[in-house]
Amino acid sequence: MQDKNGQIIETHSISAGLDYPGVGPEHALLKDIGRAQYVSATDEEALQAFHDLTRIEGIIPALESSHALAYASKLAPTMSSDQILLINLSGRGDKDMHTVAALAGLSF
Amino acid sequence: MSRISQCFKRLKADGQTALISYITAGDPEPWVTVPMLHALVDAGADILELGVPFSDPMSDGPVIQKACERALKNDVSIHNVLDMVATFRKKNTETPIVLMGYANPLESIGYENFAKKAQEVGVDGVLTVDMPPEESNEFLPLMNKHGIDTIFLVAPTTSTERMAYISEHAKGFIYYVSIKGVTGSAVLDVSEVADKMVELKQHTNLPIGVGFGIRGGKSAAAVSEIADAVVVGSSLVSCIQEHADTPEELPASVAALLAEMRHAINARDMAR
Repeated sequence: MQDKNGQIIETHSISAGLDYPGVGPEHALLKDIGRAQYVSATDEEALQAFHDLTRIEGIIPALESSHALAYASKLAPTMSSDQILLINLSGRGDKDMHTVAALAGLSF
Repeated sequence: MSRISQCFKRLKADGQTALISYITAGDPEPWVTVPMLHALVDAGADILELGVPFSDPMSDGPVIQKACERALKNDVSIHNVLDMVATFRKKNTETPIVLMGYANPLESIGYENFAKKAQEVGVDGVLTVDMPPEESNEFLPLMNKHGIDTIFLVAPTTSTERMAYISEHAKGFIYYVSIKGVTGSAVLDVSEVADKMVELKQHTNLPIGVGFGIRGGKSAAAVSEIADAVVVGSSLVSCIQEHADTPEELPASVAALLAEMRHAINARDMAR
């Protein structure tokens, strides 16, 4: 992400791991050759997915992975019941407790 | 022969060490950059390094990072920097100018376009920190084609193999980073640097400039004994930061600071 003069633009994401203005060359290639599709989720959607998985499955997902879960909840209703949807839970969310607590107005 | 090579040749004949000054273009105000460059030449700078402001200057310490921030607040782009060089060249056609910075602002206008314009306005060399020779397949031939010297960094951690590789591709001079750190973060150890100079000289006939850890006349004079050029950046930029509110006084202030280093180096050159 850069402006017209090649200066890097400030980013924002609720998850520190996604708060970054660049894309690696492997992802860039996968997108360009059409082998992968890249989609997005907002902070709110990711946070909702974080709470959902924690409450329903007892698994605390990382905020990065929560973005994938958020998109899965949008994609699943468009699929037929015999299709399989696999989510890569890339990290655990205990590391994000302070971020989620702060957003909920709680302090430990 | 490039303006940079001519400059080193003349200094060598006179038994003098080159003094290279660094300031960031557009810091603290765009209009004061060219007057500062002229003042630095008058105070004894042999080569001018002009920083192209960048949002993510990964090899620079806090002093030059802040200089970039001040310049970017003034929306200083690569086009503005090239205009400053053109203005400087109206009065000075002798002193070599090296643009120091990062690849992104150059890439944003296209490497070929940059090389062409840089040559037109009278830029003599580029030091693009995140563009080592290994990554320069496209960049290097374009700069060479337009007569721009490509200056590369050698660090205390650079292997012998890489020293040889860098020396093969470097033009103008080689810039030795005298500390394991970012610009202005420590003062160099002269005897350590001296050992590296001996090693580096086995790979290249180019002049070697030493920078990143020089602060004040004393360390400048000490480095002048072992290097072909002394590069001074963060201490000049600290002075600019201090006087940022009174930019009209800056040309005289940075000149006084540089003159002190010039005198210290000259005294040492004469004693040799």
